[in-house]
Amino acid sequence: MTPGADPARSELDARVLAWMREPEWRDDAARFEALALELFAFQWERCLPYRRFCERRGVRPATLTRWQEIPAVPTGAFKELELRSFPAQRSAHVFRTSGTSTSVRGALHLDTLELYEASLLPSFARHLLPELAAGERAPILVLAPSPAEVTDSSLSHMFGVLLRELGTPESGCFLRGGELKPDELLAATLRAAASSGPLVLCGTAFAFVFLLDELARRGLSLVLPPGARIMETGGFKGRSRELGREALYAEIETRLGVPAARIVNQYGMTELGSQFYDSVLRLPGEPRRKLGPPWTRVKLIDPATGDPVSGHEAGQIVVIDLANTGSVLALQTADLGRRVAGGFDVLGREPGAEARGCSIAADELLSQAGA
Amino acid sequence: MTAREIQDRLAELREAGAKLRRRPARETHAALARVLDLWSNPDSSWRRRLESELPGATGFTRENVREGLARGLARFRGETFLSLVRAELGDPARLDAARGSMLSGFDTTAVVLAGAIPQPSLLALLAPLALRSPVLAKPASRDPVTAALVAESIADVDPELGRCIAIARFGSNDEACLRALLTADCVAATGSDASIAALSALVAPPRRLVASGHRLSLAALGPEALRGPALDAAAGGIALDVALWDQQGCLSPLAVYAVGADGEAPDRLAEALAQALASLERLLPRGAQDPAAAVEFRHECDGAELRATEIPGVQLLGGPTQRWAVVREVDAAPRRAPLNRFVRVQPVENPELLLDSLRPLAAHLAGVALAGFGSVQDGVARGLADLGASRLCQPGELQAPPLAWHHEGRPVLLPFARFTDRETPL
Repeated sequence: MTPGADPARSELDARVLAWMREPEWRDDAARFEALALELFAFQWERCLPYRRFCERRGVRPATLTRWQEIPAVPTGAFKELELRSFPAQRSAHVFRTSGTSTSVRGALHLDTLELYEASLLPSFARHLLPELAAGERAPILVLAPSPAEVTDSSLSHMFGVLLRELGTPESGCFLRGGELKPDELLAATLRAAASSGPLVLCGTAFAFVFLLDELARRGLSLVLPPGARIMETGGFKGRSRELGREALYAEIETRLGVPAARIVNQYGMTELGSQFYDSVLRLPGEPRRKLGPPWTRVKLIDPATGDPVSGHEAGQIVVIDLANTGSVLALQTADLGRRVAGGFDVLGREPGAEARGCSIAADELLSQAGA
Repeated sequence: MTAREIQDRLAELREAGAKLRRRPARETHAALARVLDLWSNPDSSWRRRLESELPGATGFTRENVREGLARGLARFRGETFLSLVRAELGDPARLDAARGSMLSGFDTTAVVLAGAIPQPSLLALLAPLALRSPVLAKPASRDPVTAALVAESIADVDPELGRCIAIARFGSNDEACLRALLTADCVAATGSDASIAALSALVAPPRRLVASGHRLSLAALGPEALRGPALDAAAGGIALDVALWDQQGCLSPLAVYAVGADGEAPDRLAEALAQALASLERLLPRGAQDPAAAVEFRHECDGAELRATEIPGVQLLGGPTQRWAVVREVDAAPRRAPLNRFVRVQPVENPELLLDSLRPLAAHLAGVALAGFGSVQDGVARGLADLGASRLCQPGELQAPPLAWHHEGRPVLLPFARFTDRETPL
């Protein structure tokens, strides 16, 4: 326990970390329920805005019996409130949501990165490098800025941890100063072909579009070594031309030689300590769906009523993540999802899909304006 | 429809347009005026058909469609149209003349429609025809009804004019069809800013693009509209502007600014708006929300609920279950707008700060409902005009624009005109 640490928090952290560090994942419902309810009770005590929010809804630790009843905080609230379960003076890191230079960005305050890092490594390894034995490494090429360049990006931090813990020497970040470095990437790819371990090319969806456009401009294809796989995450947010996921994957297959069966989408967000990955590499031949670690749960609710949806109905995605010990464990996203074979799928609006009215871009306009 | 069929249809329209131009322009204008009289008449068969078919096609409730059309088409009368023609084009004979400043339309105009609100579609289809430019229209995917009914009504009134309008239905991802449609001599397009930017790249001069991008509207109430009966009237009007078409139009207010009032005025306004929206939910129920919109609505409501526990003054009234929401904010900062009857009440100290707050939105501002500024109202109006608002009106009138409204700040018919200035010898 670090000096001055909250003993109750340290005890919870230790139990969650122990789960994360187990070599085999076990989906233990009773363990999750117990930890979730205890963590809720802890955060209800320590995070005053969350406590008031729960009280407004008539929810107290004593009234809760199931994790499904834990009130979820909308992720958008991180733009305006500091939702942390530790004193401000212990804040050691701030991850901010993406946004334009003028817009208000959400902020996740953390007093430790231990849980964040302990959660991300086994998830990534399990879904992107399932064949890798303990202690083995693989070339990881990243189409995103390094954590040294963008210190407040949780995604860059994640890539930094992956490079440090799993990457071979030729691994690295190939987006610097807002610019893709295709020649360096090409050279690293050639070096990686001779390396052990399957190559993983990671990046945001818009960075992949930049790469594909650059290759198209040069009339080139960058055929990655056999067994290479891709992890893409995030959207486009006006930073590149928009592509539907199928179209993106088709272009990746054409220009990079990686079929859709080896392209893994990651669903994550700054406000979450854990991430969800497409099942395709881990469970080939099965329906593509998002799977998370056993210390998370996903609930789909009817946005009109807040009640859970049934069966395969689409619903608003709510995530309960035990890795969020320092903030709030239950988060309501602004995404729509559907249950698929024990996992879930995120239902996005297709690029070019028409909204009902001309006012629909208001969000975008307001975001540009600094909302 | 295939790309080839679209090209064939454009060729047919060119021929039909050539025939139409052999008739005096006055005849065409008179026919279009009769068409508008039919559409502004709530008892006409066309109005009844639209009222009957639009709810199923768009998700708006029957009550909302009926009231929206009643208000939105009330000022779309034939006589008003003829006045507009005279005001913008001058003597219609200029379209037939061979001397002086002559006017023509384009051989063909492609009209790319968007959204689910019928009035803008009606006007977008009629405007090129006023210049005797035949129209090939791509209906909005959210409103497959209006364009076809308008075309039928024109053919019913004037068969020869009816041969100058056709509908092109194809999928929004069918690039070959889109490119074929965009070979028209003039393209009128409504859509998101991104869609308009994409179209602009495909419509190069000498072909003309008449584009309408995304716009938003607001309301601003001065001290005199924030107390007593004037408050109830203003709140009732704004609630109606919000409720009609479920806040989906560019004339739907997203936020109401309480300007220069006492500290409790925003609370009173929020409460009055909430009451009015609750009443309207009974009279003009909100329609079906698509799931993504419902998610946005709940996310913003729950976010406001959380902020209300932490930020003194912030208040959420209504919510997803009530099917409307009013959020009383404590500042004038622009915030997300999930639409579907979600409106923010934002305090601002004085008109100068109001204009400063709106400056980031200026390029996208359409209408502002304005009331209660007393002797400084003209100054506020001038400031809003300078910012770029194209329409200022009373609360409750945003959804009833006049036919001659300078949407996007430009004339209605002139963007479709070509001028030829024949000079006399010096």
